Amino acid sequence: MSIIEAKDVKKWFGDFQALKGISMEIQEGEVLVVCGPSGSGKSTFIRCINRLEQHQEGSIIVDGIELTNDIKNIEAIRSEVGMVFQSFNLFPHLTVLQNITLAPIWVRKKSKSDSEVKAMELLERVGIPEQAHKFPGQLSGGQQQRVAIARALAMEPKIMLFDEPTSALDPEMIKEVLDVMKELAKSGMTMIVVTHEMGFAKEVADRVMLFDDGLMVEENTPNEFFDNPKNDRTKLFLSQIL
Amino acid sequence: MMNIDLKKQTRVIKENLFSSPVSTLLTFLTSYIMISFFRGMFGFATAPDKDWLSVLNNMQLYMVQAYPESDFIRIWICVGLGFIFSGLSVGLWETGEKTSLSKLCLTFSKIIFGIIFLTLIAPTTSVIVSTATGIREQVDVFSYAERIPLLSILLGLLVVFFLLSKINLNFNKSFLVSIYLFVPIVFLWLMKIPTIKLDAENQRVFPDPLMPIANSTKIPWTLIWMSFVAAYLIGIYFKNKKQFKTAVSISWVLLPLLIFSWIFKKPLIDLNELIRNDIPVFIGFLLVGVLTIYFINNKIVEKFYGYYLGLLVIVTLASLFLKVILLVKAGLLLLLLFSVIIPAVSTSAKGKRSLTIVWIVSLTTTAFLLEGGTSTTQIVVPGSSIFGGFSLTWLLAIFGTYVSFPLGVLLALGRNSSLPIIKGVCTGIIELVRSVPYITWLFFASVTMAVFLPDGVEFNLIVRVLIVTAFFSGAYFAENIRGGLQSIPKGQFEAADAIGMNTVQKTSLIVLPQALRAIVPTLVSSIITGFKDSSLVTIIGLFDFLTIGRMVIGNQSIPINFIGHDRENLLFIALVYWIFTFTLSRRSMKFEKRLGLGER
Repeated sequence: MSIIEAKDVKKWFGDFQALKGISMEIQEGEVLVVCGPSGSGKSTFIRCINRLEQHQEGSIIVDGIELTNDIKNIEAIRSEVGMVFQSFNLFPHLTVLQNITLAPIWVRKKSKSDSEVKAMELLERVGIPEQAHKFPGQLSGGQQQRVAIARALAMEPKIMLFDEPTSALDPEMIKEVLDVMKELAKSGMTMIVVTHEMGFAKEVADRVMLFDDGLMVEENTPNEFFDNPKNDRTKLFLSQIL
Repeated sequence: MMNIDLKKQTRVIKENLFSSPVSTLLTFLTSYIMISFFRGMFGFATAPDKDWLSVLNNMQLYMVQAYPESDFIRIWICVGLGFIFSGLSVGLWETGEKTSLSKLCLTFSKIIFGIIFLTLIAPTTSVIVSTATGIREQVDVFSYAERIPLLSILLGLLVVFFLLSKINLNFNKSFLVSIYLFVPIVFLWLMKIPTIKLDAENQRVFPDPLMPIANSTKIPWTLIWMSFVAAYLIGIYFKNKKQFKTAVSISWVLLPLLIFSWIFKKPLIDLNELIRNDIPVFIGFLLVGVLTIYFINNKIVEKFYGYYLGLLVIVTLASLFLKVILLVKAGLLLLLLFSVIIPAVSTSAKGKRSLTIVWIVSLTTTAFLLEGGTSTTQIVVPGSSIFGGFSLTWLLAIFGTYVSFPLGVLLALGRNSSLPIIKGVCTGIIELVRSVPYITWLFFASVTMAVFLPDGVEFNLIVRVLIVTAFFSGAYFAENIRGGLQSIPKGQFEAADAIGMNTVQKTSLIVLPQALRAIVPTLVSSIITGFKDSSLVTIIGLFDFLTIGRMVIGNQSIPINFIGHDRENLLFIALVYWIFTFTLSRRSMKFEKRLGLGER
């Protein structure tokens, strides 16, 4: 059974149509990489999946719940879908540990001590347990992004969305974040990753999609996508990026 | 530690004061202005025609105006409670920062060097202007011979501090507060200031020039200092007890109410009324609130939540037009407010517990405010109000901040709300309040407000002024806080949304903490403005600190003739205002530094 099902999703920002009818399905445990030029609607699409943006036409069904304006549904879906942002968006007034335990304590209503144990496990998993009591401002970009991944994982989500997680990072830091994401993919997490890291796509993705001008122009397995693309637009995109 | 690195010092001076011709010129110009200012002030203060006894002798008038002496114990208890809770807080929240004796001695030596410098440049003559003839006259004030004893004492102190700085001793920085408080109290016991006695013809005689003036205040102040130190030690002892900290925080919220409505006011309580009406109503609301908190998320009760809320809205609206005691109206409003937010917060045992505490505190606060605001006082004072002098200034400043800050937060959040009615009402209140001058609002409080109040509700003039002040500074707070809210990047909201937080959690855990810390400097300057603006109440006939000095003492002829001696008093008043505002701004700078830890 597919865990996310989007049918003919359309979205306008004023007069500008950002999504011109996207349909896709993703199975549990699948890793999907979405790429495309800027302004192609790829970020908008994954932000629609946890309702940070509202789509105006079509339907999105996440884990059997359709996204509507019902706040209860939105909150239910958001606690099942973790999201990692391009600009980290950690809470600067809370320590790393508090950043991670905030949602489990207040949204999942877990006890503080349990959440802290879990948070330390997650920090161990992303490789920075020694930074637990620092503030986000004292960490490097790569460390901040890893904390952001740990924060999303603390909710024990079924799906993880990554919105260009490495675009704001220095080249040396990209690797440490990608390593964490690879490990996550291997553990069987369902992931949708918007990225330009083609190496990551080749190595980890089950499927790769190319967005252009609000439409999905190609959907393929990584090998086919890179070696034998069907669409001319894909060829052009790959020639520019590789 | 006394060996100052001279080379480094010269370099610092060179780089900061004489780095270019322009800065050299500026340095000389500023020093000239500052030195002239000091010499002028010093000459003014020491001129023989100044009667500083007009300040010292009127201390009681300054502090409490006409408050009856028989009830002074109430004021001492207020001050004492304030100090005890300060001591507890200093102990509980002490940061463990250490300082050494030698560092402290260095600071004091710097101060003494400053005083020595000022003594050397002080003028020897001063100008006095005769009030009758307007003739200016040069008089000697502080001859060089007179300076020698003072200078030798200062030099002696320097030596003492130098020797003390050799001792290797470290102590907690927060403990310093008790030492700083101890010094003036020692002075109260040691200092001899001539007391004035009057003979039968109301002429001044000085029977005992060495009798301490502070006879009536030194014992209470000493007791207060002792309880401060005791409270500090208790605070240190319970440092790791979280419940104790919560209790002290809540006490800080309730303390001003206690002071206002029970100790300062000595309210006339109708016991019958209290037992028949107020207490049952209070307990009833308390129970309903707690029951709502604990059972609202129950599966069966949940279905009826809509009906419950609807019923509550109708009953509340109806009660506003019915003849019921004020506590019922206020309690219903509060319950309605709570019932809206309860379902979101009280989903866990912890949420329920903290919500219960908030409910009890806010209900008690409301009850106290109503009781204190509407009951009559038994304290009889000649003139219009029980409060006067510094106690009035203090009351306006503290209550202005205390009530208006939460009001400002609510108004700011309301103005940012997406619900059109709430947004409209909040914007309306803010714009209405801000578009009218404070003085106009004061007149509104003193003259017109009675017309707008419902039948049977009467507020004391001071309470009306407090209400107006709360709204006035609340509107300004709201605009400041709105600025802080806008400074929060969109990503923070998205991140909070993405982890599934609801609006209440988002506001209280993510948005407000960041917004408030971004605007601490503006908030402190608003508080300082409020403190100083309180002197405007003179316009509606209240005697605040400034008015006492300017109007009362300047016209005082009984028991001693102080007519015309208002300038000394103005200087004293300015000094007191300066001490309080300066301390406040220094504290806030330290606070900012502590908050800045997590900033990028």
